[in-house]
Amino acid sequence: MARPKLQLRIAQSPVLRYGLAVLSVSVALGGALLIERFQLRNITLFLFAIAVAAWYGGTGAAVLALLLSCISFAHFFVEPSHSIPYFILFALFAWLVSRFSAVRRRVEAELLAERTQQGSLLNLTHDSIFVRDMDFIISYWNLGAQELYGWSAEDAIGKHSRQLLQTMFPAPIEDVHAELLRTGRWEGELQRTTAHGTTVVVAARYALRRDEQARPVAILETSNDITERKHREQEIENLNLELANRSTALESMNKELEAFAYSVSHDLRAPLRHIAGFTELLQKKISSVVDEKSNRYLVMILDSAKRMGNLIDDLLAFSRIGRAETQKTLFSLTQLVREALTEVRQDVEGRNIVWKVGALPDFYGDRSMLRLVLVNLISNAIKFTRTRTQAEIEIGCSDGNSDDLVVFVRDNGVGFDMKYVNKLFGVFQRLHDSDAFEGTGIGLATVQRIVHRHGGKVWAEGVVDGGATFYFSASKT
Amino acid sequence: MESMNKLGRILLVEDDPKDVELTLTALEEYNLANEVIVARDGEEALEYLYSRGKFKTRSSDNPAVMLLDLKLPKVDGLEVLKQVKSEEKLRMIPVVVLTSSKEEKDMVASYKLGVSAYVVKPVDFHEFVNAIKELGIFWAVINEPPPGSVRK
Repeated sequence: MARPKLQLRIAQSPVLRYGLAVLSVSVALGGALLIERFQLRNITLFLFAIAVAAWYGGTGAAVLALLLSCISFAHFFVEPSHSIPYFILFALFAWLVSRFSAVRRRVEAELLAERTQQGSLLNLTHDSIFVRDMDFIISYWNLGAQELYGWSAEDAIGKHSRQLLQTMFPAPIEDVHAELLRTGRWEGELQRTTAHGTTVVVAARYALRRDEQARPVAILETSNDITERKHREQEIENLNLELANRSTALESMNKELEAFAYSVSHDLRAPLRHIAGFTELLQKKISSVVDEKSNRYLVMILDSAKRMGNLIDDLLAFSRIGRAETQKTLFSLTQLVREALTEVRQDVEGRNIVWKVGALPDFYGDRSMLRLVLVNLISNAIKFTRTRTQAEIEIGCSDGNSDDLVVFVRDNGVGFDMKYVNKLFGVFQRLHDSDAFEGTGIGLATVQRIVHRHGGKVWAEGVVDGGATFYFSASKT
Repeated sequence: MESMNKLGRILLVEDDPKDVELTLTALEEYNLANEVIVARDGEEALEYLYSRGKFKTRSSDNPAVMLLDLKLPKVDGLEVLKQVKSEEKLRMIPVVVLTSSKEEKDMVASYKLGVSAYVVKPVDFHEFVNAIKELGIFWAVINEPPPGSVRK
């Protein structure tokens, strides 16, 4: 490290520079005077010989050339007694030249090592790397490029890169070069054809190399194969598109179904009204003249008409929930439970029910829909504990450790068989006959629909004759 | 009944003959039906109101109330309503929509057009009769109809 520093100092300082000139000429003058003083013979050819040996042959050759020169000189030109200054001059010269030679060899070896190391390092990478000049002529080609494109370095170097690889740019090549010249870099996806004729997509990065005058001279391109990735992306895109199409189709189908359910429910009301109306008119007219059995038939027709009316009304309400927009606000569940209990107070008249209402948090959702959920679940609990002398109904919240809050309504009623748990939430699904427990079988379906519309889940646990617990979850925010 | 003399004329616009019969029966039950004109579609209703076609020779006074179904052949209920409310000499007639539809958009459209009441026909006969009775009593008896309506 000292040497370059010294050279740098000499080169930078004018005093040292001119001092060196003065010094070298002084040394030359001293040498010339010395030669003249001793009347030395012409030694140029020997010096030349030593220099050639030292420069190309190294230290050993330099020593041999020195010895041979000394012997020759002593034998042919001067007497051995006078030859000492020549020997010294030869030795000094030989030493100087072999020093220079050694330095040169070391620098060469270092350069070579460096180049080999770089070359093999660039061959280690998975990326394809090549260099081309501004006319697209390839000057460097690493192993990665060979693996990716199928051309060896011998095939590729000297070729026109765009023609060799049939490169397709995502933008006009003028734009690419313009950006490259402006920023020194460019990156993008290229489509190319390999030596085997297959098409590959690569993610390429260009770096511009400029010479000392800042003229652009070459482009280093690093790229890697993203063909697989592009295929997968395309596949995902296709799948997403398909999914979007399907969900649109489902949505419109769902809307159609809702409209259908509504119109059916709606149009069913008119004939039903006629059945009920005319049966009642008939009943009024003939009840005093027909037998008891006929009267009972009339009552049963009216009962059925009424029940069908309820079914239609519930179905209409159910369909309306599917179509209505949810209007979300933050409200107190405790307050809502209180309102629900007021709403069902007719059902609890004459009943012995122990209520347990736990602490309930605030809830973010559609208040009137949630009220319907609570009324349905509480009505169910009241209904299915009817056979108990003392009913117990608990309403609470298990906070859980997740982001959801879970509300439950638990009773000690007749319960249900877990085997049928999946049937509980279906429309018109009932687990008890209507003689024992009346109902249309839409309540829990409505509950489920509302909870789903709030992004939550509903589930139930029950034991035959051992009570039931209904849960629903919803996001805390 | 003294009020019998003051009964207003009712225009019932209803296409379903069974509904017509049930409505008339309910009105009869409370003696509210001594003059009910039945139009079986929207066109007939308009003919009556404008004294056209087969109603060319009807007396010139307006009904005390019009009970209007929405789902009607030819000209539907909302269209009838729109024409009535845009006609200077008809717009004062009280119109009660009497329909099976609980559809919100029907209700909104009716109220926007200036309907006096919106009644959904109950499925249950008792409720139906009660509804018709109350409508009849209110509009044909209690309510003071606009000038130009007939009272018998």
